[in-house]
Amino acid sequence: MNTRSLEFRLIGWYAGLLFGLFGILGVSTYWVLRTSLAGSLKENQLRRARQIGQLLREEIERRDEGGVGAQVQARYAPDLNDRFVRIARQDGGLVYLSPGPRSQSFDPAAVPPPEWTGEEERAREVPLVGGRRMLLAGHPVKMPGSGLYLVEVGAPMDEVQADLRHWLVFLLAMLPVVGGIALGGGYVLVKRALAPVDRISRSAERISSHNLSERLPVPHTGDELERLSVALNHMIERLDEAFQHSRRFVADASHELRTPLTVVRGELESFVTDEGLSAEWRERLGSALEEVDRLASIVEGLFAISRLDAGEAASEWVTFDLGRLVASTADQMALLAEDKKIQVACTGSKGVWVQGDRARMKQVVVNLLDNAIKYTPEGGAVSLKVEAGNGKAILEVADNGPGIPAEALTRVFERFFRVDKARSRQEGGAGLGLSIVKSICAAHHGGVDVTSEPGRGSRFRVELPSARPNAGNDPDENGP
Amino acid sequence: MTGTLMRMLLVEDERKVADFVARGLREERFAVDVAYDGEVGWEMASKRQYDVIILDIMLPGISGTEVLRRLHQQGGTVPVLVLTARDSLSDKAENFEAGADDYLTKPFAFAELLMRVRALLRRPPANRAGLLRVADLEVDRMTQQVRRGGKRIELTPKEFGLLEYLVAHAGEVLSRTMIVENVWDRSFVNLTNIVDVYVRHLRSKVDDPFPIKLIHTVRGAGYSVGEGKGP
Repeated sequence: MNTRSLEFRLIGWYAGLLFGLFGILGVSTYWVLRTSLAGSLKENQLRRARQIGQLLREEIERRDEGGVGAQVQARYAPDLNDRFVRIARQDGGLVYLSPGPRSQSFDPAAVPPPEWTGEEERAREVPLVGGRRMLLAGHPVKMPGSGLYLVEVGAPMDEVQADLRHWLVFLLAMLPVVGGIALGGGYVLVKRALAPVDRISRSAERISSHNLSERLPVPHTGDELERLSVALNHMIERLDEAFQHSRRFVADASHELRTPLTVVRGELESFVTDEGLSAEWRERLGSALEEVDRLASIVEGLFAISRLDAGEAASEWVTFDLGRLVASTADQMALLAEDKKIQVACTGSKGVWVQGDRARMKQVVVNLLDNAIKYTPEGGAVSLKVEAGNGKAILEVADNGPGIPAEALTRVFERFFRVDKARSRQEGGAGLGLSIVKSICAAHHGGVDVTSEPGRGSRFRVELPSARPNAGNDPDENGP
Repeated sequence: MTGTLMRMLLVEDERKVADFVARGLREERFAVDVAYDGEVGWEMASKRQYDVIILDIMLPGISGTEVLRRLHQQGGTVPVLVLTARDSLSDKAENFEAGADDYLTKPFAFAELLMRVRALLRRPPANRAGLLRVADLEVDRMTQQVRRGGKRIELTPKEFGLLEYLVAHAGEVLSRTMIVENVWDRSFVNLTNIVDVYVRHLRSKVDDPFPIKLIHTVRGAGYSVGEGKGP
């Protein structure tokens, strides 16, 4: 899992926040519960102590303190109710001490002695054996003549502690549930929030230099996503303009070069065909003419690419059999291969239909095959394969030549790129053949790529959308 | 070129292009009038009877396309060869619609211009007969047979097509581009070495066994077929 992703961080923050809130809630409820439980226990004991104090007062007024024990026992039965009752005199005498409770939860004798603090009511927590605690409420009773009494009523805090423990257990049990909800909810929320971003990036992915006129869909939500789409669209527009400028420049430049080329070629030609010229001059001028020819073919190539890239309409758009086109083209070029003793194996299955401009598609086959033959040493082998599959028509041109080094592989379709500069220039290539192939494939809504193993050969693969065959509507057996 | 002198009008604003084209055509015994802009060109075309007009499209003043349109409206029947540095499809269609008879894109080889002009004049020097002959080489178009010195030479269909094209234009220099376009098709234009390979094969059959060579290489310009050392 990518821990740096926006998704992960958002879910983390979300879950963390929810967890934190749950923690604060848990701690505060625990504290409130504890205070209120202890408070009500204290209130109850104090009330009971007041009642017993009243009882004591009445007994003393009637006779003496001696009878209060029996009264308390009869009315409140502290041993049955798990309560502790002690009535003490300030001079140290113990008037009454409740018997040990039935539940054996504490030993009355072990309860710490009374604390005298004057005539004010007071509750305190005292420790019992075994770490347990008891809430002890004291109610002083002042009797004129017989001095100060202290009525104490105590209750073990076990119940409160048990309630609090239950609450804690409940909180802990809820922890995984809350965690699950936090993570799951966070995931769903984040996914939903990021879905439009995903959509935008997928649409942006589809836009390349060949369809820069397309724009991203803009969600009219008035938020960051709308601004993002609009900003991206502006950027694509600027890119589009830049591309158009560069294409127009190439088209204009190659156009402007044509007239001077015509003049140079015309003048040189008139000399070359002049019979009065010496052989040496004829040779020199001929050499210059060859360069003019190459220059002209570069200009033509550039012009063709800029037109293809500008999406200029093809001269024809028909459905034709790619297999047949490849077979007939390979046939026409057989002598080129034969000349280098190269075996050309054409395993083109016929009946692979595509739609487009046959002349341009033929150019693709010619350029790829010419390339393969050019860079395969004498006695090598070149194979052509046409097949259909998955809604695609595929043409593969493979050779067993020296291959293309990995660092050059991504650049072979660039204009003027040559793997072996010295050699291809000698062969007369301008370095435009493969970029023309790429532009034609793109104009046919397809693509071309290359794989190569240095020392073992290269394989060019053209993929085009396949078309429905048209019944007997192929006017030309051998292609254009 | 026998009979009356062919008169032609060349309308081209690029003086250097106009100069070498006019010079080359005069050497081929055409009478050439030159106009350097559309205005003058149109004036000359409407005043005088020409056998063929060579018209550049990108002209100052009246454009070539406009000149074409006016010629057409006037009901003129002069064949027009259009020269242009543009070769996008819409341009072509527009000019053919306006009445152009043929089309040549710059930069062109003069030999090709000449060939097209001759084709427009319907007086091609190229032999249209069934049997073509250069020295002791015979090319029979009907039976697709080739003989030299009476000896039968076996050629593949492509080799025959190439030889036929060369022999039909014997005495002319044919550029590789012209050969590719006529014997193969435009897809092979950047593949001019295919011409060299085929010519080499053709020579091995047609020339090598004989003392007199008929297929000549004109460096930088292309090939020609003829008895002499070539033009």
